[in-house]
Amino acid sequence: MDETSEMRSKLSLRDVFAVGSVGLRTRKLRTGLTALGIAIGIAALVAVMGISASSKADLLAKLDALGTNRLAVEPGTSFSPGSTPTLSADAVPMIRRIGAVQFVSGITTASATVRRTNFVSSAETGGISVQATDSYFALTTGAKLSQGRFFSASEEVLPEIVLGSFAATTLGVTDLSIHPLVFVSGNWFTVIGIFKPIALFPNLDSAAFIGNSVAQSLFNANVEPSSVFVVADPKQVDAVKNVLAATANPESPGETQVSRPSDAIAAKKSTSDALTALLVGLGAVALLVGGIGIANVMVISVLERRTEIGVRRALGATKRHIRLQFVVEAVLLSTLGGAMGLVLGAGVTTGYSALRNISFALPISVLLIGFGAAIVVGALAGISPASRAAKLAPADAIRPA
Amino acid sequence: MSSSDTAVLELQHVFKEYPGSPPVPVLRDIELVVRRGEYVGIVGPSGSGKSTMLNLVGALDVPTSGKVIIDGFDIQEMNDAEVSALRGQRIGFVFQTFNLIDGLTALENVCVGMAYAGTPRSQRLERAARALDRVGLSHRSTHRPSELSGGERQRVAIARAIVSEPALLLADEPTGNLDSVTGESILETFSSLNNEGVTVVLITHDATLAASLPRKVTLRDGIIVGDTAHG
Repeated sequence: MDETSEMRSKLSLRDVFAVGSVGLRTRKLRTGLTALGIAIGIAALVAVMGISASSKADLLAKLDALGTNRLAVEPGTSFSPGSTPTLSADAVPMIRRIGAVQFVSGITTASATVRRTNFVSSAETGGISVQATDSYFALTTGAKLSQGRFFSASEEVLPEIVLGSFAATTLGVTDLSIHPLVFVSGNWFTVIGIFKPIALFPNLDSAAFIGNSVAQSLFNANVEPSSVFVVADPKQVDAVKNVLAATANPESPGETQVSRPSDAIAAKKSTSDALTALLVGLGAVALLVGGIGIANVMVISVLERRTEIGVRRALGATKRHIRLQFVVEAVLLSTLGGAMGLVLGAGVTTGYSALRNISFALPISVLLIGFGAAIVVGALAGISPASRAAKLAPADAIRPA
Repeated sequence: MSSSDTAVLELQHVFKEYPGSPPVPVLRDIELVVRRGEYVGIVGPSGSGKSTMLNLVGALDVPTSGKVIIDGFDIQEMNDAEVSALRGQRIGFVFQTFNLIDGLTALENVCVGMAYAGTPRSQRLERAARALDRVGLSHRSTHRPSELSGGERQRVAIARAIVSEPALLLADEPTGNLDSVTGESILETFSSLNNEGVTVVLITHDATLAASLPRKVTLRDGIIVGDTAHG
C-alpha cells in the first residue's frame, strides 16, 4: 500500500500543455477568432515598432552618408538693437588654421539677381539668391551634382554659375548639353552644373553659385561671409564646434551661431516619434481588447466545461491543476495570436520598407517585446476565469446544474 | 469502532446538512462499512440523500460531522492535493451521463487520470489499452466519444474508472441513460469486475436492480432504513 506522503497529484510539463490545449483543439474556429484579436494587437505593435526602427536605421544610414562631422557657422542674433551681426571677413582663412578642420568654405551673398534672359524683369528674381563661394563649397556642404560639375579654383574668375535644384527648376534650366546661359545682373553666365537637393542645407536649393573672384569684380559683393561650412575631423567634432564661434567672429562670439545640420534633421525626425507613440498606444489598445476577448472566451469555456472540470477533479486533478489548465489554455491562445501577429507585423514592416525603399530593420527586441506582451496578456486574461474554475466544488461541477 | 483491515469504506456517525435558514439536513447518523470485494447497492427514492452519499463516499465533499474513511484515509484530515490524489488513485467513478471529454479519443480519455498521478506516458497507454480490453472495447480505442454508442461510452467510462486499480469503484445510476439491454450488459461488466475482486458501490433509485445485487442498503429521508448485510 502507498503511504499518504506518496499520494500526491503531479502533472508533467508535457501533460500540462496537453491538458491545456484540449479545449483549443476541440473548438478550432473559436480559438482562431480569439487568437486573431491578439494577433491584430501584436501586429500593430510590431509593425509600428518595426517601421519606426526601419526609418531610424535608414535615417542613421543617410546621416552617416551625409556626414555627421559637417558644421555650419552663421551670424546669430545681435545683443545690441539696430546692428546686424556679421562674421569676420577673414573667417574662412582663420577657421582653416584650426588643426582638426579638414575643409572649410564660405558663401557671401552677392547683390545680384539671376534671370533666364534679359527680357525678364529684374524684379522677378524668383526668390533665387546669388552666392559667391569657392571651389570647396560642394565638398564642405556635401552637395551632389545631378548634372555637370562645380567650378574649380582656377575657374573662380570666370562667368560660370552652378544652380541649386530649386533655382534650376525655377529658371527652367534642365539640359546642360546646350550650354545654357543665364542673365546675372547684366552679365551672361554659363550654367556648368545643377545640384541635387542638398539634404543638410535645403535652404541653399534656391541659390545660384558663382566664384568669389568673379563676384568681386562684377558685383561688389560683401566681404563678410553669410555662412561658413566646415568639415571637421570626425573624432573632434565637438572640440571644433566649441572654438568656431570665437574664430569666426572674435569680437563678439556670442552673436555667432554654430550648428550641426545633421542634428537638426535627427531632431526633426524625433518629433515624428510622437506619432509613433500614438500608434504604439493604438496597438496597446488593440492588445487590451484582444486580452478582454480572451478573458471573455475563457469565462465561457469554464461555464461550458463544468462537467469536465468535475470529472478531472474526480480523476485526481487538484485545484492547482485546474487553475493551471485554464491559465495555460489562455496563454496558448494568446501565444498563438502573438505568433500570428509577429508574422503579420513583420510582413507589414517588410512591405512598408520595400514600398518606401528604405532599409529594413526589425530588431529581435521588438519581436521579443511583441511575443512577451502576448504571453503576459494571455496570462492576465486567464487568471480570473482559471481561479473560478479551480474554486468549483467537485460535487457541484460533476452534476449538470 | 475498529477499522478493520478489510474495510474499504467506513462511515461513522455521519451527518450532512446544507447551509440555509434553517439548515437542510440531508444525511443523519449514517453508519456503513463496505469490505474489500463487496458489491453493494445503495438504493432510495429521489430526495433520500443518495447523491449526497455519493459525494461523501467519493471524497467529493466532506460531512458536517462524523468520519468518512476511505481505504484507511480520513478524508477530513487531508488537504486538497491529498484528497485529489485519493480520488484519482483509490476511487473509480462511473457517472450516469458518462462524462467523457469530447476532444479526446477513448484511449486518451482512459489516460486522463493517470497524468495527474504522474504515471509515465508509455505505461499509461499500455494500462489504458488493457483497461479498454477488459471492458471489451479495444477495437474502439481511437474513436472519439461522439463516434461511440451510449453503451460504448459507458464502457470507456468504466475502463477509465478501473485503470488505476482503485480500491473502490463508485457507480452513480450507471444504467440510467441506457436502454435495458445495454444496461444489462453494463451490469454484467460490473459483476465480472466484482468477481475479479473489485469492490463496487452502485447508487440507484431502481429497487429491482438493487435487489439483484449481493447487498442492498436502503436510504430514506437521510437514514439507512435497511441493509441486507444485517439480515
